[in-house]
Amino acid sequence: MQLSSGSWTIVALMVISSLVLFFWPIPHRSGESFWTFTLDHDLIYEPVIGKWNAGEPDAGQHVTAYVIDKQPLLQRLQSGFLSGTPLPNMAEVEISMAPTFFSGPLSAVGWTDLTGVIHREGLDQRIDPASFSPWTNRGHIFGLPHDVHPVLLAYRSDIVEAAGIDVSTIQTWTDFVRVMKPLMHGPDGPRYLLNVWETNQQDMEILMLQAGGGFFDADLKPVLNSDINAQVLARIATWIAGPGCICTNAPDFDASGNNMFQSGQVLCYLMPDWMSGVWMKDLPGLSGKLKLMPLPAWAPGGLRTSVMGGTMLGISKSANFAQSWAFAKYLYLNHDVARELYRRTGIITPVRDFWSDPIYDQPNPYFSGQPSGRLYIQMADKVPARTSSPFKPDAVVAVTDALIRLKRYAQDTGTYDETLLTLQAHRELARAQTEIERRMAANAFLTAANP
Amino acid sequence: MNRSLGSARWMPYLLLAPFLLVFTVFLVYPLYRSAVLACSQTFGPTRHVWVGFDNFLNMARDPDFWTALKNTAIFTAASVLIQLPLALGLALILNRPGLRGRAIFRLIFFMPSLVGLVFVAMMFGLMLDEHDGLVNVLLRAVIPHFPGEFPWLEHYVMASLILASLWIYAGFNMVYFLAALQSVNQDSLDAAAIDGANVWQRFIYVIMPEIRPVLGFVVLLSVIGSLQLFELPFVMLSGAGPENSGLTMVMYLYEKGFQHNDLGFASAIGWTLTILLVGIALAQRRLTRHE
Repeated sequence: MQLSSGSWTIVALMVISSLVLFFWPIPHRSGESFWTFTLDHDLIYEPVIGKWNAGEPDAGQHVTAYVIDKQPLLQRLQSGFLSGTPLPNMAEVEISMAPTFFSGPLSAVGWTDLTGVIHREGLDQRIDPASFSPWTNRGHIFGLPHDVHPVLLAYRSDIVEAAGIDVSTIQTWTDFVRVMKPLMHGPDGPRYLLNVWETNQQDMEILMLQAGGGFFDADLKPVLNSDINAQVLARIATWIAGPGCICTNAPDFDASGNNMFQSGQVLCYLMPDWMSGVWMKDLPGLSGKLKLMPLPAWAPGGLRTSVMGGTMLGISKSANFAQSWAFAKYLYLNHDVARELYRRTGIITPVRDFWSDPIYDQPNPYFSGQPSGRLYIQMADKVPARTSSPFKPDAVVAVTDALIRLKRYAQDTGTYDETLLTLQAHRELARAQTEIERRMAANAFLTAANP
Repeated sequence: MNRSLGSARWMPYLLLAPFLLVFTVFLVYPLYRSAVLACSQTFGPTRHVWVGFDNFLNMARDPDFWTALKNTAIFTAASVLIQLPLALGLALILNRPGLRGRAIFRLIFFMPSLVGLVFVAMMFGLMLDEHDGLVNVLLRAVIPHFPGEFPWLEHYVMASLILASLWIYAGFNMVYFLAALQSVNQDSLDAAAIDGANVWQRFIYVIMPEIRPVLGFVVLLSVIGSLQLFELPFVMLSGAGPENSGLTMVMYLYEKGFQHNDLGFASAIGWTLTILLVGIALAQRRLTRHE
């Protein structure tokens, strides 16, 4: 067989590249590995990890943090848990990833069960109890909570106060609409009171949880078609369609959405603590033009906050537990980390001992001098508990679709009466609930025989 | 003599062995495993429960499956009924004798297919933004009472996807048609013209029969491509869109396999898609058999 010079070149390149790959030194990293999904967290942890490593003479106990974006982090963790590819000793995961870990039998959850050690060491007393709820599945706690994420209402104080409106008179959502509605006619065109839309699942969840509704009960049974959920959906439908429309769609992390807030086209926003930090970075032009207030309640005397988002630190089953647990506590129960977390991101710690720290009382110029940290902390122990069903993403989509259909029904029939819409919402939610129940029944791994 | 006969008897098998080995390892065995997987419910690659045909039954009961099938069928129909005639029309225009700047036009029409699908999806997502998207800005400038906000990607999801795919693929398919048109026998066209055939008759009775093999090939390619639609809606809608209005069969497969970790159910979807594809290919073959 005669090979041309081109063919020989290809063969030579193949051999050389194979040899290079084979002999390429792979750096061996000793010690504990810790994955996180955001650079902000890594920057906060870096000095603390440095101190931890300096105090550990044994290099085998040194911790190295790696920042891995959410999607690859989730894929790599799942690969590790399900098929044994290399795993970190510890990892921070975000709430949207949690259902993936809990969608199989309990024995297949790759995180170490922390229930016993958390109770034994009294961490369930030190840390806000609701913060554990997203990481608790079938009675077992699989992570140490990083945050609480209460929600307040951010409003354009420059516009609201210039109109002589006193927000302290607002106690309920009905008050909110009545008091704020005159602001909808702006000098440069229509304004909207609130950024809530049927396709924004987060807004819907915030409002449902605030009202006392939700997707699953404590036993993880679907409760989509509840009276509270139906009432919330009916109210939202009147906010986003028809003559009482007060809302618009100003998407988060989006230039057009940000522009609507900056221009004053949208006046209020359902703002979890983490989003206050995002706005301080992304929308500096709003500094001094915003204020925070508790969410208007669904009924007089009702809950004035809600919850959105969350992160936990989990320890993989393959890790040396004692070593990893010591580091996890060092990091998450660390006062310096809590202070830096608030300073950098606006996120308040779930560790109750630290809530008295004066840093949270400092006036925040972005929120017109209000002590934003303190305002969030005042709501921290009131945030509603959540559940961690693996079917939550499906349930959220099903309820969102129910809201979309409800809005269409309202528009098609011209029905904007809340009582009538509540009846229709029940019909839509019943459909959503049936679908989720069907999916749950079809999952052989989550039946009683296979817990 | 015996030795040579023996060698001769085994030689074909020996020569076939490398192919058979590769074919078995990389095609037959994966197909067999995939069929077994389609009859199991799984949680990752190591945990599985035999469920027989339950995956197929659950799929038939799942409204998302029918939504995905409907959306995929609409997209496929649009590809064949809108995109291909458009591509053929462009090719006919570019094939006109004496057309100036043919190469430039050909490049302009073909260029979108050089852009990655993800970029196209992002670009159309921005263009169709309900507030500041280029489409709405233009429509507001042209139509005085056009609404300030018009959510294309909520109300006209399939139309938006079809529009984006037209932009990408019409020029691509045009190249196939152009090549086919350039091989149409000019003598036949001239003879038809002398016999009094008008433009339409020449197209139907002379051009179409000659380009039919290429047309069949392009139709099959478009159908297969449409049934595999994934990146365009996934990026453009950041998921399946409101009420799953942009959910396609492959997105449905991805969701079940890699978000719900049920590779068995995903495999059942894969088999359903395969059966659909084979059915369409056979139907297309039957329809064009007389050629």
